[in-house]
Amino acid sequence: MGINRLWMIGLMTVGLAIAGTSYAEESAWFQDVTAKAGIDFKHNNRSFKNVYGNIMEGYTSLGASVAVADYDGDGFEDLFLTDSEELGKNRLYRNKGNFTFVDVGEKAGVSKGNDATNASANALWFDYNSDRRPDLLVLRFGHNILYENQGDGTFQDVTKKAGLGIPYLNCIVAISFDYDLDGDQDLVLGNYFQPVDLFNPSTPNFFPESFETANNGGGVMLYRNNGGIFEDVTEKAGLQLSGWTLDLGHADVDHDGDEDLYVAADFGTDRLFLNNGDGTFADVTKEAIGIDTKKGMNADWGDFNNDGLFDMFVTNITDEYMREGNFLWQNNGDGTFFDVSRETGTYDTGWGWAGKFFDYDNDGWQDLYVVNGWVSGGKANYVVDIFELIVQPNVDLSDARNWPPMGDKTLSGYQENCLFHNQGGLFKNEAKRHGVNSKLDGRGVAIADFDNDGRLDMYVSNANAKGFLFQNVQPTSNHWVQFVLEASYPSPVGTRVWVQINGQKHVGFVNGGNGFASQSTMRVHFGLGDVAQVEEVEVVWPSGKKQTFENISSNQIYRIEEGKKALKPFKPKNTTATQNGK
Amino acid sequence: MKRLLCVVTLMLMAANMAQAEEIAVIGGSAALDKFEAVLKIEPNNLKYGNDYRQVVIKINKVEMYNRCIAFFENLTAENPKAPNAWMNYGYAFVDKIPVEGAITQVLLANTALGHFSTALALEDTWLGHYTRGNSYVYWPAIFGRTPKAIEDLTQAIAHSEKAEKLHSFHVRPYIGLGEAHWRLDDLAKAREVWQDAIQKFPNNEALKKRLSLDDDALTAFLTIHFEPGKRVDTDLTILWEEE
Repeated sequence: MGINRLWMIGLMTVGLAIAGTSYAEESAWFQDVTAKAGIDFKHNNRSFKNVYGNIMEGYTSLGASVAVADYDGDGFEDLFLTDSEELGKNRLYRNKGNFTFVDVGEKAGVSKGNDATNASANALWFDYNSDRRPDLLVLRFGHNILYENQGDGTFQDVTKKAGLGIPYLNCIVAISFDYDLDGDQDLVLGNYFQPVDLFNPSTPNFFPESFETANNGGGVMLYRNNGGIFEDVTEKAGLQLSGWTLDLGHADVDHDGDEDLYVAADFGTDRLFLNNGDGTFADVTKEAIGIDTKKGMNADWGDFNNDGLFDMFVTNITDEYMREGNFLWQNNGDGTFFDVSRETGTYDTGWGWAGKFFDYDNDGWQDLYVVNGWVSGGKANYVVDIFELIVQPNVDLSDARNWPPMGDKTLSGYQENCLFHNQGGLFKNEAKRHGVNSKLDGRGVAIADFDNDGRLDMYVSNANAKGFLFQNVQPTSNHWVQFVLEASYPSPVGTRVWVQINGQKHVGFVNGGNGFASQSTMRVHFGLGDVAQVEEVEVVWPSGKKQTFENISSNQIYRIEEGKKALKPFKPKNTTATQNGK
Repeated sequence: MKRLLCVVTLMLMAANMAQAEEIAVIGGSAALDKFEAVLKIEPNNLKYGNDYRQVVIKINKVEMYNRCIAFFENLTAENPKAPNAWMNYGYAFVDKIPVEGAITQVLLANTALGHFSTALALEDTWLGHYTRGNSYVYWPAIFGRTPKAIEDLTQAIAHSEKAEKLHSFHVRPYIGLGEAHWRLDDLAKAREVWQDAIQKFPNNEALKKRLSLDDDALTAFLTIHFEPGKRVDTDLTILWEEE
């Protein structure tokens, strides 16, 4: 505790000094270019035809997701967006390279995710068959679909062949990483509801049994990849959980060379698992973060204080009627974490969903964008109905019939998204200034440099509404460097990159889908502030091998291939688009 | 006489054991045993019940809060006409709030209100109206309980105006009444209440603080003040310290 306080005092001193810096340019640094870019997509909730329809629709609002990958290998990041409405089409927007996109979902064969018995809930790009092409997993309340990337712009359904033709699941999140370091991408699924067919439930008891300690959710599942065929190793790996999983986040939090796992859960405690390096995980929740009773909705790792350790940002519910507060788990480096959300100004983001670390102004500090809001409806407030529910003596919360109908009522609605500018470890909300303070009910945030200009852009998915594509036009002269990583293992997920500037090392890594309802780029990006040359770049590959490069020029995207001695400038294919924002 | 001696002996023992150091040495359970024995003899004794709860707060363990609630549950079942047992029963729920999650906190606060109402139905007192009224103030306006806060706190003030002597603790419903008006976004009315109160209690720091703040600062201050889950001071010692 003493060390934390000391650190915070130091942090505040630095923060105040940086806060004194003012940019000459005061205009918005993000421009909504959604329509201009050719993206015309609205997420729609599912209407249920069963007796639980009056409460269930809201849960399909969780399915407004976005996943980023360069699926066609042309050097520009593409977008996959999910709908949840029956017969609603999922979209694959191919990036044409000039900040315009075209929907190729139907042509590619990935648009059919919603039918009478399945509702899309999320999506993940990952290389399931180690052919270095991103394949696409569409998660559904129902049955998931795995699409294999054929390399010619089309995809093929390989769900059964890959061993993922699992019986009914209510999957809400998936991330992929190589948990056993055998060279291929394994899969962790997070399920919200238990495996009850939501469209035709056999029991009314499929709602959370408690608001704080519910253990009747869908839990998590770990699938080991055996050459493109998946095997359920959840129990063997020690990941048996029965909570209401909402998000998963992996990173090597103890820098021991393997990937650890954070599980954010609704209606109960989040969990932190350390990878034992032998195919099993150890639940270190109690000693590392403690047991909570909150509503964990997001799990993103990033080094917000530049101490070389990955910290965790989790959103919870913070409103007039319930002030849980978010978690910003500062990694103490000794196996414990300390929540500094209050001290850093990131405690209250309303009913938060995705929260992503990224350095939007390239000043060398990880900023944070958080979207929020459950349902923005009519004037009547649903919290009053919830209150009447919970004060009933001996009420069975797991019985969906006991939950009051939602109608068009509002619950934690009309909340403004937050863009936290990191000012040396303390955050200031700059969302309004930069025009990214929408009051729509946000769900996902995908970060990527869609135009390869060294300024990180965002796609924000909104529930039951259109999303936003925000182009970063920040005018500072801050320098940056970005890496596209080619590991000897087919996927770069888990690769850690350290850049040294002014004698200080900054760390980033390739993540396999962290953050609620959204997958960001697999590139690793660093803002460098006014430093024009990186003293040293160190890459630690999933294979365990290390490489270092010295005196690297800034304002370039580099391709680093494992084992190759030279860095190569990254060049997109078949396009006239350029780098350096020129 | 024998009963009185028994109570005095037990209370002296309990009071000695209630010192924090003692609790640490002997464990909280033994100290609570003594208080419970006394309260079984004097169930309506507000002070003994209060001191018992303060020991529980010092121990600050979930199982001890549960024990305290269970004890008052039995005590009120055996002595349903003892208003102060009900009052302490209600406070026991409030005392547990900081160690629970957000939803359980709501349930605890709501249950406490029910017990405060029972106490008030048995005996119409300043403390009863102040306690219940102040509890209502903690509820966000959306729950529609703020008008009830105003009603109770106004009645508490009416009680104090009839009292033989105006004590410093009588300022509390004035503070709460102003805060209830703040809950309803009527800051002018809130300040009016506090201005009136400061004429009667010119040295009260809580009033001075509230009156010194502009609208934004006042809202920021009271938002933190009413943060759910924060420990509410339920120590009633001030009631007899001034006597």
